[in-house]
Amino acid sequence: MSFAGKILRIDLTNCEINKYDSDLAKNYIGGFGFCAKLACDNIKPEMDPLSPSNPLIIGAGALVGTNAPATSRIYAFTKLPANGAIGWGGGGGVTFACNLKFAGYDAVIIEGKADRPVFITIEDNDIGICDAEDTWGFGISETCQKIWKECGEGGIMAIGQAGENLVRFSMMYVDRLSTVGRGGIGAVMGSKNLKALFVRGSGSVEVKDRRRFDKAVKELLERMRSYPYLKEWQELGLLKSLPAIPRDVYLKLRKRRIACVSCPIGDKDVLELDGEEIYTTSAVNLVTPAVMGMNYKDAMRLTAKLDEYGMDMFEFLGILNFAKELSEKGKLELDSEIDFTSLDSMLSWAKKIALREGTGDLLANGFTEMEKKFGVKPKSVVKGLRAYVTPKGPLIWNLFGTMELGQILDPRGPHVAAGGSPTYFAKRPPESFRKHLARMGIPDEKIEEILSGGIKIGKLLCYSHIWFTVLASLGICARAQINRFYNADICAELYSAATGIEISKNQLLDRAKEVWRMLKLANFRAGFTREDDLPPEDWLDDGFRDYVTGEPLTKEDVERMLDEHYMEMGLEEFMRR
Amino acid sequence: MIVVHPENCTGCMRCMLVCSYTYTKKFSFSASRIKIREYRAEFTEDCNECGKCVEQCFYGALEMVK
Ligand code: SF4
Ligand code: SF4
Ligand code: SF4
Repeated sequence: MSFAGKILRIDLTNCEINKYDSDLAKNYIGGFGFCAKLACDNIKPEMDPLSPSNPLIIGAGALVGTNAPATSRIYAFTKLPANGAIGWGGGGGVTFACNLKFAGYDAVIIEGKADRPVFITIEDNDIGICDAEDTWGFGISETCQKIWKECGEGGIMAIGQAGENLVRFSMMYVDRLSTVGRGGIGAVMGSKNLKALFVRGSGSVEVKDRRRFDKAVKELLERMRSYPYLKEWQELGLLKSLPAIPRDVYLKLRKRRIACVSCPIGDKDVLELDGEEIYTTSAVNLVTPAVMGMNYKDAMRLTAKLDEYGMDMFEFLGILNFAKELSEKGKLELDSEIDFTSLDSMLSWAKKIALREGTGDLLANGFTEMEKKFGVKPKSVVKGLRAYVTPKGPLIWNLFGTMELGQILDPRGPHVAAGGSPTYFAKRPPESFRKHLARMGIPDEKIEEILSGGIKIGKLLCYSHIWFTVLASLGICARAQINRFYNADICAELYSAATGIEISKNQLLDRAKEVWRMLKLANFRAGFTREDDLPPEDWLDDGFRDYVTGEPLTKEDVERMLDEHYMEMGLEEFMRR
Repeated sequence: MIVVHPENCTGCMRCMLVCSYTYTKKFSFSASRIKIREYRAEFTEDCNECGKCVEQCFYGALEMVK
């Protein structure tokens, strides 16, 4: 019921458009799970990620379009240019995801390659493939402005110059406020000559059992309303838990708080910095380059520019670090100095990479190619992508929890989204674990198993992945301020009431587990084995420390966690022989 | 009367979702009697000031004044 019921398939090579019914939701939940299945069925191991045959599969979750709080997520699956994994990116759907559902589609699959730059318009039954010559070469904001001017209100997914130029760490942006990335998803759009998708739906989304659905939503909203930190979260967003800049400085800069459709605790911003408007996914992201020694204003200017180009900031900083190391070793000649404290230096490198000028052309190919060319292993790189957290930062502790293990086990490479658990914060009291784990639907005896004799990080991560898959398949935002209000029971109840597919909590978790296994196994068939799940060498011995004991992490510790994880997930293929 | 505070509006559209759902039993933007344009709420002629949208606004952008 709350499904739109149709999949839209667009082949850009011959402008073929098909719409068809699908009952995949039945076994694969919806949204993330449903698109994962489409990806595993449609992506062949031998496909070149930047070839026309690589499909880009974009879908919205089972509850997207309803008023269940923060059910806004959009996911995009494809073969990732950075590492060849069958992977995905996800982001707050802002106005895109619900419009896709209102237009009548749960997912859109884009294949082929247009013979000139185009953008796709989806307005209910009307699908257009329009000329994008005049936006090709534009940044993200400019592109969105131009399309909104031309097409009116609606959701937009777009790439900037980095995606056009096939930078292996380019991303797609939703309404210029969310990123769908890592792994070069922007370049997949670029390789198809696809600048943007625009969607506006005049239709609707229904729920099967309104009384049941309304009751569950009401309960969630009441809990959100009475949450003592609601105002603080609304005011500060992620800055509440990661105070990267002082509150008063931030509030002075902020012009407007923005939320994805249906989100009561939005955390996106429009800021004004010396007369210039900046649209951002979050203020925390915006100031991240400050950790490299920049002042916060320059850090914001740099991130804003990278967002305009449509390029992953973490990867950008990581690849420059590697290039600097190579140049210091005398292996690479740079055409200008890399100075992380200088805005001018950083902006010039951003331009070089996004437009593939000079040495930027080489850096734009990402870690995998650079490693091959120079025969030097970059630090803290997993499956061709720079890890978000490393023993040297940006977190102030170096304990090895589920997020750290999640970065090496995630089939698509390191990512923040999939390893969530209380281990995100150092030395959480055991009670906070019990509560969190119960909320994720883990049975009591399993909780005991996970918590007895220290914390079994490998086993716990299995449930973090399952929980993430549930949220993502329903379309619920996984950010901390949202996630905390949901639990597995409410998810099963909302899903059953909305879709009319009756499901118990355990069935929902089992299906989510199957989805994650399927992704892991599809990547196994594409050549990713246990070897690829091993940690970078610099993480061991004098790198990360055991979450519980604080002792230096050894390779054997991680191997044990891997086995524990694979065993719990049912991934015998990856076990030690 | 509903007073609008556009400076607080986040574009979350919870108001539009609840209005359409209340009067058509379906969630949509098209059937809502409140429209958010550029973060400013406007009401169509059909609006009966029932206040459902005000209840759903978490950001103080809509206020019911007696
Ligand atoms: S928390 Fe942020 S990303 Fe998540 S739904 Fe709300 S506005 Fe979107
Ligand atoms: S007051 Fe009632 S009818 Fe008017 S816009 Fe709000 S919800 Fe709709
Ligand atoms: S008026 Fe309130 S509910 Fe409506 S879009 Fe603005 S913030 Fe959201």
